[in-house]
Amino acid sequence: MNKGKVKANPAVEFFQAIGRFFKEFGEAVSKGDAAVKASLLVTGAGYWRRKQIVKGILVTLLELGVILYTCFIGLPYMGKLGTLGTVERTMVYNPQTMKNEVNDYDNSLLILLFGIISLCFLIVAIVLWMANMRSVYRLQLRAEQGKHINSFKEDCSSMLNDKFHFTLLALPVLGVIIFNIMPLIVMICIAFTNYDTNHMPPNTLFTWTGLANFKSLFTTSLTSTFGYTFRKVLVWTLLWAVLATFTTYFGGIILALLINSKVTKGKKIWRTIFVASISVPQFVTLLLLRNFFANTGIANTFCANIGLTDFLRNIGLISTSYIPFLTDPTWAKITIVVINIWVGVPYLMLIATGVLINIPEELKESAKIDGANAFQIFRKITMPYMFFITGPYLVTQFTANINNFNVIYLLTQDVYTTTDQKLAASWGKEIDLLVTWLYRLTSEQYNYKMASVIGICVFVVCAVITLFAFNFLIKGDKEETFR
Amino acid sequence: MKKKVLSMVLCASMTAAMLAGCGSSSSNTTDTSDSSASGSADTAADSASNEAASPAASGETVTLRVWAAEEDQTLTNELVEKFKEANPDQSFDITIGVESEANAKDDILVDPEAAADVFAFASDQITDLVKAGVLQPVQDTDTVSSENAAGSVEAATVDGTLYAYPMSADNGYFLYYDSTVVTDPSSWDAILADCEAAGKKAGMVFASGWYNAGFFYGAGFTTALNEDGGTALDWNGTSPDGIAGVDVVQGMLDIANNSAFLPITDGDTANQIASGSLAAIVSGTWDSSAAQEAFGDGYAATKLPTFTCAGEQVQMGSVAGYKFVGVNANSEYVGWAMELALFLTNEESQAERFDQREIGPSNTNVSESAEVQENVALAALSAQSAYGFVQDGTVGSGFWDPTQTFGEIIAQGNPSGTDLQELLDNLVESAAQPIE
Repeated sequence: MNKGKVKANPAVEFFQAIGRFFKEFGEAVSKGDAAVKASLLVTGAGYWRRKQIVKGILVTLLELGVILYTCFIGLPYMGKLGTLGTVERTMVYNPQTMKNEVNDYDNSLLILLFGIISLCFLIVAIVLWMANMRSVYRLQLRAEQGKHINSFKEDCSSMLNDKFHFTLLALPVLGVIIFNIMPLIVMICIAFTNYDTNHMPPNTLFTWTGLANFKSLFTTSLTSTFGYTFRKVLVWTLLWAVLATFTTYFGGIILALLINSKVTKGKKIWRTIFVASISVPQFVTLLLLRNFFANTGIANTFCANIGLTDFLRNIGLISTSYIPFLTDPTWAKITIVVINIWVGVPYLMLIATGVLINIPEELKESAKIDGANAFQIFRKITMPYMFFITGPYLVTQFTANINNFNVIYLLTQDVYTTTDQKLAASWGKEIDLLVTWLYRLTSEQYNYKMASVIGICVFVVCAVITLFAFNFLIKGDKEETFR
Repeated sequence: MKKKVLSMVLCASMTAAMLAGCGSSSSNTTDTSDSSASGSADTAADSASNEAASPAASGETVTLRVWAAEEDQTLTNELVEKFKEANPDQSFDITIGVESEANAKDDILVDPEAAADVFAFASDQITDLVKAGVLQPVQDTDTVSSENAAGSVEAATVDGTLYAYPMSADNGYFLYYDSTVVTDPSSWDAILADCEAAGKKAGMVFASGWYNAGFFYGAGFTTALNEDGGTALDWNGTSPDGIAGVDVVQGMLDIANNSAFLPITDGDTANQIASGSLAAIVSGTWDSSAAQEAFGDGYAATKLPTFTCAGEQVQMGSVAGYKFVGVNANSEYVGWAMELALFLTNEESQAERFDQREIGPSNTNVSESAEVQENVALAALSAQSAYGFVQDGTVGSGFWDPTQTFGEIIAQGNPSGTDLQELLDNLVESAAQPIE
């Protein structure tokens, strides 16, 4: 019960802060003196009244800048945001000038982009304007109480001293907003449009279609198999994430245990050998393996020569004259998981080695004295300790595997052909993860709208899993056990 | 993955920022164009009739970017130099970039405004490029259509407008074989029997709508583009020649199930030829040197064989494909770009291209020349061209994946034993999916 209260606090505090903000703004407007009220129009007025001339000029200039930007650049784009443009591009060739003459056309993507950015600017500007009113009113209160009012110099120096965190964070926050949040908002908006091959700016316009794309992702009809494909791809994505995460996890731990075992000789050499595989760039390894395991690759030639291919055909596991390592749905899935173990185990071995060395020896010693065997020690001491330390890593690894583009794409691109006609109709494959499907939809089919919808779905899946995992798997209450 | 999309948007936003920076100047030009747009259409028609002789040179330097395939770099450089010599009054700044003809569409559509002014591309991409408004319609249509083979002009025409300059006519496939092994290359049955006897294999790419459509085109079936962007296939019915689609599939299955047949992955043909296990392969001119090397004295090429369809022998059809040079409508110097495209594809340039790279010309005069006639691979290609089908403009982007899957199922010998009619019905249905 207590916990719920603690958790609710940040959200409540957040809304309370917003409430306070509006309240103070209202107070400033109603109780402020003439100069403060004048700040509603000329933002610097309140500062000038308190002799903060430079600050007042800066704030007024900012206001002027925002107004000019909004009127001349922002408004034309924001005005078209509702329709995303109405004028299609037409081109006429003029033989005299040897150039094309283009009409004043609308570019839906630019309208969406600049419209959203301008809208964000405007909202930020309004919030700043309100905050400005508040601080101007605070100044008035200070002046009335006869307190000291900072000069511009003192303001500047305080930014380097007691308010240094503002100065430090300003740039990163601005960067995150411009390079992460804005594009993200635009990408999410694309999910609600019909931006695809038939509607590609600058030549043609695209427009809002509401939830139509989400509907087509979750329905399977005669002409559209997106629902079918989405279901299949999602199931394999989750299965893959579980398999990939846990096989490499346990593989790494077992490998680390083997290497750390007292009977193993030449520990450092073993460790070096396994780590050496990390030093080769992953995509090189994967592309090479793709060729090794091709239908006519080295692995198949070898298997045919030693008679394995014939044996497998005789017992009915394969029907082809080669082993379809990367071309049959089931075989390909197994091959991919196995290759992923090979690629991923060394990393985990390193982590596990570090953790294993840190397990207090006395725990194991006392367990031994109590008569526990090696497996019991592993199950009751080593594993719980490992889980506790590497829990967060496991969760991040799981979400990373949901988005593990490299392994799947590099191993199967140009090699794997689906034999499921329904999947082929929506450009999916049995071995596709949501991300690889999304990638091919964008880079090969230019179906940006569906890709955006799938992107949102990937986000939802990852967010839900991460939240659940962090809340239920890695509770802080285990800490006591290991103290 | 999200990063990829993000980076795309970032790129977009950056170019957008650049556009905004130049916003004032571009809006000036558009103002004037609005008023003159209607009038200039008339003048365009006028001047087209009085032949674009030599365009008036202006003082400014014309900056153009050309995209050509990696193997074509030296040749393109030489041709561009010649082009500059032919227009001594105009100063040029022409740069040449590497871009394979097969991928041109993918890289152009990412950002048409940042793409090259003049580029080479394979004819199957023309529909998408026209749809995206990238291609500048050809002004000098008379020259282009009179000098080039009718099929190539037809393939470069979309909705009655000529959009590209035919450069070569060798983007099709035919049969290479080793005449010491294969004595009768006229039918699949005979070829497979010969290969079986010699312990060799006969190969073909099944898992590609470009190759496997050949069986259907041969039997009289067609492809057509629907208004909504979907592809209309009649393969699940009976063709005008009276051949049932199911019998064609059965014929393909019989070939695939023959132990002397080797299904090849698209793009892997050269490797397979070099491996030495093949005695016959369906491929195009790009593999001629590989085949020459592998087959040695037995090197031969001919039209595609017939295949058995409900007891009858049916001649395989093929896709008649071409390579084009296109002009980017977004180009700043679109007029000069068209001049250059025309120059790169004229008779002289095509003859030069054949001399250097043995690429089959689309120009009628060049293809009738003795050297071209003597080329084994090109002779086979022209023999096959009688059974060629112009696929360009008759298939949409939703055609390729379903046909690839269909071909793969057949190549694997239909492992799940699905009813052949059902296979075809599914194929027709998924290809017809509208691109909305």
